[in-house]
Amino acid sequence: MEFQEDLSPEGNVATRSDDAWVTIVWNDPVNLMSYVTWVFQTHFGFTRAVAEQRMREVHERGRSVVSSGSRERMEVDVQAMHSYGLWATLQRSGE
Amino acid sequence: MRGFERDGDHATALMDEEERTVIARIVADVGLLLGEVRFGTEDPDDAVAPDDPFAGLGDLGAKASAPTDPAVLRLLPNAAPDDEEISDEFRRLTEGDLRSLKVERLRTMWEQLSADGEEWTLPLAEAAPTAAALTDVRLVLATRLGLDTDADVDRLHAEIDAGVRALDEDEEAPVDHERVWLGMLYQALSWLQETLVSCLAAGQEDDV
Repeated sequence: MEFQEDLSPEGNVATRSDDAWVTIVWNDPVNLMSYVTWVFQTHFGFTRAVAEQRMREVHERGRSVVSSGSRERMEVDVQAMHSYGLWATLQRSGE
Repeated sequence: MRGFERDGDHATALMDEEERTVIARIVADVGLLLGEVRFGTEDPDDAVAPDDPFAGLGDLGAKASAPTDPAVLRLLPNAAPDDEEISDEFRRLTEGDLRSLKVERLRTMWEQLSADGEEWTLPLAEAAPTAAALTDVRLVLATRLGLDTDADVDRLHAEIDAGVRALDEDEEAPVDHERVWLGMLYQALSWLQETLVSCLAAGQEDDV
């Protein structure tokens, strides 16, 4: 199953077994839009445009998938998001 | 109070002594909540040597379950709310480090605010931990104020406006003074963080 293309609702494509997990950042009323954008640029190395697009997705849709990969990799991302005070979780892709 | 303004590779905010004292106190409160020790009162003899390789192992296994205080839970959330096993394992692996990181950032901020002088100057390269520590303080205040949605925040702003108006006009309105005071502190810290983040973002643009 892991080797089949799995198109999740967020549109990210998981095609390899080590892409089987995702990190999700959830909306909260506290984190500033500018801060969330800056965190995404700083931690994930997104361009400002991509970081803003993910931030808007969090703000408007309530959540955004910000990374995908192995579970260990996602744990590193979730820990980083928690260190910045963002509300992040990990789960299997497509759940 | 003047928010952070960028001056070359530094960001500087201006605050009078009372403002510094108020902010330093809430920073220390959050430090106490997370680290179980009040800044400035520790006995140096009790401190764990920084190079003690077993320092983080003191409560290994003891903190596998989620914190019961909702404010602490917001700072150290469950990594997989639908999967207790993943959440607990993540907590065992990361909670000690996250707690120490957050407490140390708060301690640095508390020490800066406890120094004399109106200027609070941060090298931009060291401002990121301050922005994150401000987030943690705001998250704790928001939990205490019951801010779960954007509508809750709008309601708080309206309550503060009504409270301030009642004070200004000496009205006999029912005002929850503690809530209005905490709310104003939350607003002030949000504004302060916004000014710091714009300095950080401007610095990031320079690097590109």
